[in-house]
Amino acid sequence: MKNDQLTRRSFLKYAFSAGSICSLALMEGALLFPAVKNDEFIREAKYYEKQGEKRVTCKLCPQECRVADLERGTCGVRENRGGTYYTLVYGNPCSAHIDPIEKKPMFHYYPTTEALSIATAGCNFVCKFCQNWEISQKRPEQVHSMKFFPKRVIDVAKQRNCKTVAHTYSEPVVFFEYMLDCAIEGKKRGVPNVMISNGYIQEKPMRELCKYLGAVKIDLKAFTEKFYKEICDGTLKPVLDTLLVLKDEKIWFEIVVLIIPTLNDSKKEISDMTRWIVKELGPDVPVHFSRYYPTFMLKNIPPTPPATLHQARKIAMDNGVKFAYIGNMVSDAENTYCPSCGKVLIERLRYHVITRGMKGNRCKYCNEIIPGVF
Amino acid sequence: MKLTRREFGKQVIYSAAALSASLSFPTFLIPSAARSRVVLARSEKLKRVNHQLSEENAAHFLDQAVVKITGRSSPPAAWKSLFSPGERIGIKLSCLPGKPLSSAHGLVMAIVRGLKAAGVSENHIYIWERTNRELERAGFDISRSGLKVEGTDAYLGDGYSENIEFAGSVGTRFSRIMEKVDALINVPVLKDHDLAGVSISMKNFYGAIYNPNKFHRNNCDPYVAELCTHPMIKDKLRLIVCDASRIQVNNGPAFYPKYAWEYGGFLVSQDPAALDYIGWQIIEKRRKQIGLKPLKAVDREPKYILTAARLKLGNIDEKYIQRIEI
Repeated sequence: MKNDQLTRRSFLKYAFSAGSICSLALMEGALLFPAVKNDEFIREAKYYEKQGEKRVTCKLCPQECRVADLERGTCGVRENRGGTYYTLVYGNPCSAHIDPIEKKPMFHYYPTTEALSIATAGCNFVCKFCQNWEISQKRPEQVHSMKFFPKRVIDVAKQRNCKTVAHTYSEPVVFFEYMLDCAIEGKKRGVPNVMISNGYIQEKPMRELCKYLGAVKIDLKAFTEKFYKEICDGTLKPVLDTLLVLKDEKIWFEIVVLIIPTLNDSKKEISDMTRWIVKELGPDVPVHFSRYYPTFMLKNIPPTPPATLHQARKIAMDNGVKFAYIGNMVSDAENTYCPSCGKVLIERLRYHVITRGMKGNRCKYCNEIIPGVF
Repeated sequence: MKLTRREFGKQVIYSAAALSASLSFPTFLIPSAARSRVVLARSEKLKRVNHQLSEENAAHFLDQAVVKITGRSSPPAAWKSLFSPGERIGIKLSCLPGKPLSSAHGLVMAIVRGLKAAGVSENHIYIWERTNRELERAGFDISRSGLKVEGTDAYLGDGYSENIEFAGSVGTRFSRIMEKVDALINVPVLKDHDLAGVSISMKNFYGAIYNPNKFHRNNCDPYVAELCTHPMIKDKLRLIVCDASRIQVNNGPAFYPKYAWEYGGFLVSQDPAALDYIGWQIIEKRRKQIGLKPLKAVDREPKYILTAARLKLGNIDEKYIQRIEI
């Protein structure tokens, strides 16, 4: 009967969460996040259709949830109230931190700068390996959140010398309205916003976002429908469609692939994926192969062997990807090399970054143009 | 990061259970050894007045129902055969639609009377739902002492267990109240559900987990049934008292007066599949009466009830259900 008692682990967890919120709150010398009133964060959602008898169909992501009155979509953060669909998390993130942009990971977009990184609860996937499940798989009322409206987000980013605002950690598609308004405000005031996403979004909202975002990073979780269905509760095709939209919109984007032993690490799958990337998106799109660690509902598979990641990177480069990286572990494959002369342009040791060989957006040794935003 | 021996064992057991379920022939065609009893109480006295039900009337019929369910000679003997002094009992309500279509206060208090008759201390009774707000909107006053009335959200952290639990394809965390109690009484409301088809006893446990929104596709099948195979539910569930004083036969779970019906009754059973099956048939019959199509015809057949039988949660073949009317 000790279940409602505070364990040492729980105590440390809550103390840590409270500490991280307080640290942001205090850094402005004033209370940044006053007491929360739930209804403050509710806004009518964009991209849904009203059906008969108070039902709605969400048109934000490919799940296309049909939602009855009082119910929520699969994301857990959008609710039907009397036939009108609402987002419950506008201006109400549960995480706010300042991270190096490299942590997203994003290597060709203002390297060495910092991103004010925010997230609300919720996700439209259930990835069994989710590293951030404690916010992504929860509903807004199950996390400690703060009041942080778009104008204030950009104020804080500027005050803290953050080059960008990153919508990250959970799945920003589900807090679309909040992200969009942050991006609009940021574009107006010179603080580009970046979306760190699974890319599971319909075309119209993605194109609307592209007008205001600075860059996008997409998790391409695998290259088979089977993986998406069984491991993520989603589908692959819409993610590929999103990548094509990003290419069409000419917005800067990078791709991350978390390699999980036995599930998505076959040579064929990596080869098929990277050949598709080069053919459809071009050789300049950076591809990051990340190391998986056991967590959440996938604890029975050991971490990815480094050799598997190096092999994936080699396959990608053999297929024409010019910038293939390895992440979530230390190696020289974190560096950016000039595809022309082969010299190190940007040296990285986790989040310690030195731009050695760049002159503007060119290799200082051979004058090769390096794609990205520098 | 390593798999502990306990976690490994748990995953093996659930994987094996899921595998055996998926491979088996439709075992709901094979009867359980014993017939399942479902008591259906109906009376003008069990109709709602101002959304509420008389506690006296509810207690009168409920006592008769538990006697029929248990086969004991008197209500105290019947309640004592179900619950023991010293046990902690959780009473899971259904309160999402607010007062008009939530578990009626009078019926819940009648259950509390029965528990007290069994010698269960008021201190050991937990009336609960997902949130305090839902309980209050359904007409219950929050209380953390004596007879407890509280939402999962009132508990430590987000109110749910630390560990992820698995039941077939469902991975979730349970309300800490479920961990705290020794036995459960489930008090759903008989109603239609726009995705699941119907929401009766098994579906009511979506209100006991932290991520119900992840299990709504395919008419909630097999998720509802698989969830109910978890020992946290299967081993603790001792009685179901389904409020059918007012039922709703379309457009649930929100209250929609156009489709509500003053049925004046409740269903009692210990078999969740049998009770849900009987409840489903009541809804189908009423739908037909008012010119609505069968749930199957509108792509909302509650297939999870068939799955529940396949997973041996109970009987759905009427030959093996003893329906007792009072």
